[in-house]
Amino acid sequence: MKTIFCVDDSSVVLMSLTAILSKAGFIAEKAASAEEALSKLKSGLKPDLIITDLNMPGKNGIEFIKDVRQMAAMKFVPILFLTTESQQAKRAEAKAAGASGWLVKPVNGDELLNTIKLVLR
Amino acid sequence: MDELQQAFVQESNEQLEQFEATLRQLEQTPDDPEAVNSLFRHAHTIKGGAGVVECAFIVEFTHVVENLLDLLREGRLEVTPPLVSLMFACSDQIAALIEVFAAGEASPEPAQAEHGAELVRQLREFLPGNSQAESTPGGSVPAETTSPVESLGGAKVASDCWHISIRFAEHVLKNGMDPLSFLRYLATLGEVAHIETLSDGMPPAEAMDPECCYLGFEIDLRSHADKSAIEHVFQFVLDDCTLRILPPASKLEEYIQLIQELPEDTMRLGEILVKSGALTRQELEQGLRLQSQPHATGAAEESTAPPIGEILVERKNVHKDVVEAAASKQKQVSEKKALEAKLIRVQADKLDNLIDLVGELVIAGASGALMAQKTGQAHLVEAYSVISRLVEEIRNSALQLRMVQVGETFNRFHRVVRDLSRDMGKDVELVISGGETELDKSVVEKITDPLMHLVRNSMDHGIEPAEAREAKGKPAKGQVRFNAYHDSGSIVIEVMDDGAGLNKERILAKALERGVVAPNQQLSDSEIYKLVFEAGFSTAEKVTSVSGRGVGMDVVRRNIEALRGTVEVESSEDIGSTFRIRLPLTLAIIDGFQVGVGRASYIIPLDYVVECMELDTSETHGRDYLNLRGEVLPFLRLKDLFQSEASDARRQNIVVVQYAGQKAGLVVDHLLGEFQTVIKPLGQLFRNLRGIAGSTILGTGEVALILDVQSLVKVTAQQENFSQHAGLPALNTP
Repeated sequence: MKTIFCVDDSSVVLMSLTAILSKAGFIAEKAASAEEALSKLKSGLKPDLIITDLNMPGKNGIEFIKDVRQMAAMKFVPILFLTTESQQAKRAEAKAAGASGWLVKPVNGDELLNTIKLVLR
Repeated sequence: MDELQQAFVQESNEQLEQFEATLRQLEQTPDDPEAVNSLFRHAHTIKGGAGVVECAFIVEFTHVVENLLDLLREGRLEVTPPLVSLMFACSDQIAALIEVFAAGEASPEPAQAEHGAELVRQLREFLPGNSQAESTPGGSVPAETTSPVESLGGAKVASDCWHISIRFAEHVLKNGMDPLSFLRYLATLGEVAHIETLSDGMPPAEAMDPECCYLGFEIDLRSHADKSAIEHVFQFVLDDCTLRILPPASKLEEYIQLIQELPEDTMRLGEILVKSGALTRQELEQGLRLQSQPHATGAAEESTAPPIGEILVERKNVHKDVVEAAASKQKQVSEKKALEAKLIRVQADKLDNLIDLVGELVIAGASGALMAQKTGQAHLVEAYSVISRLVEEIRNSALQLRMVQVGETFNRFHRVVRDLSRDMGKDVELVISGGETELDKSVVEKITDPLMHLVRNSMDHGIEPAEAREAKGKPAKGQVRFNAYHDSGSIVIEVMDDGAGLNKERILAKALERGVVAPNQQLSDSEIYKLVFEAGFSTAEKVTSVSGRGVGMDVVRRNIEALRGTVEVESSEDIGSTFRIRLPLTLAIIDGFQVGVGRASYIIPLDYVVECMELDTSETHGRDYLNLRGEVLPFLRLKDLFQSEASDARRQNIVVVQYAGQKAGLVVDHLLGEFQTVIKPLGQLFRNLRGIAGSTILGTGEVALILDVQSLVKVTAQQENFSQHAGLPALNTP
């Protein structure tokens, strides 16, 4: 089973993501902040895909993506970020930081699973 | 409401609280970039959550708020006082909308919606050029024109396949993307009829970086999907690849063009392809961007994304420098946020369940200890005493889980004080201390209303207008203080103001007018102050919107007494008043004192018990009071009160209890000692029963009633007052 790691400071978003993912047969791991996520990754969590929010208190999503890409084990893991329709500039910035793709909020289940299918190896 | 919706309501309310706190901060330091950032983040999170729970009216409203905050964040708008005020109003509106959602309504009331529309209008006034551009709230992807590409005459290629030419940029792997995933996904749209891998871009072995992608593909896809669907597959790499898609049955020239272009040609021909209908707008944009870059004639895959990335990285660095100047403060904020992330959110009923179980454990433990005592076996008694100690610790830790810091509740009042100050034209600040004091969550929820009332009261009646204050030599700025601390098993919350203090004469006059006191009655200062808690008592000379709205301090007192707490007031003229609320730490378990009357057992909350002594019947002469070291002590015979069956006890004992400074005696047959009591509430049927506060289960499995000392003391006081007239205490009237 593939593990998908969701990072968002909004518990509502985390809840809905993990509900959809678990139902679709993924192992859903979650973290409420970039800091928590990094410490989980450092302590050995090896997700097959990371989904992260960009707007988070503390370390933001862009910095988080950069940090993840610095980790040897995470160099080629697909990273999707959550964004809204209007944040085109952010997309480029996140991609430059090493993100693979994005999900437009609010995320619906089909779109989420389709996109995962697209980027998962 | 399902779990997700509940989480949304809770999270949004928390976000709103922080939103308001940040707004207050922004009022003080209008050019704090981190404050604006976090405002945006809070609004964004609420909107995001609303989207998840599909609450359109919250999404719509928050979207406009978010747009405005976005402009602030980008520095395209200034933080001004009217803007902050508007944001406060918006915060209220969002709170109201969340309530509407929580109540399960499909849409807000017309008046509410109207108010929202008005706020949106005001928000739009701040938007440059009253921008309507972003009026679609984060909905679906703007529908790309999906009209099938028409081929206009000319020689057509016989192929019924889409032709896709793609060259990946070198860094695509480093972005976590695998070209293979795209190809695999493409296969879900139809049948890949033919695929050709091009490795022309592969450098000599010594120059090759194994982490780079040098491949290109020519794909023939047999599919009924339209062009945008195919393009959608590559949406994440559009900037990191050169992609050309030709529809089935395209003109031959198009293929020729394609062939001419690939693999090394630029996209100069993009415009022509758009005209021909084979290119989408997106392709054209990409083409133009490519052309605007120098050296675009080189290998296409090398010249695409990196420069953009570099520009952005550069821009970001600049931004970083600016931010670092204000770093220390920002750091504190983020550290605090990181700390919050360590909290675990647990549903309240799970905790309640645990505490219930711990309660049962306490009872069972007591029962076991009792049995052990009976057997007289020292080892068993010893073992049980260890268990008792542990159970007690578990009880304390379990109760601790329900404890929340009272500061969170206090902080909400900043806003109240701010708004009231403005409404009343008084300059008042709220000072909070002891916010870290912990209190049972269920208690915290219930003290908000009484606190609100006390604050309103202090600000309206207590604190004088600025001129009056200056005339008295006090600072013009008034102060309301909240303080909380633990005091022997209870928590004390003080609401203090540095206003005029309570007006004794006016209170007394009012009390006379209302017939609360008799004209010749002599009252001490504290007794006079206590009168403000009597029903229907308001000394405000005129009714304002702030206080004196028909609910008086008696409501405060009743609310607090319902929590088994007390409220008292201290005051001195021109120095101020202090309202002191004393509350039990928890509502679930109390230390009780077990007494026996007839064959029944009763529990008296230990906090109220002052002393116990033997009742000397020779001294009372059948009266209902006795002389306690020179003090008159009225007492109640519980046996008569509860009409228990006669007991065989040879002597009777009296338990002296004290409530609100008043002592009373309760006559019982047996004193059975201290007992940890888990309160089980009585059913609705017994709601109006006076003198009984609840029930509990004893170690033996028997039920014991918990006495409501408050009402019993009141009964003895009344009985003392009119025993001449009636003789019987009016106990059973609700």
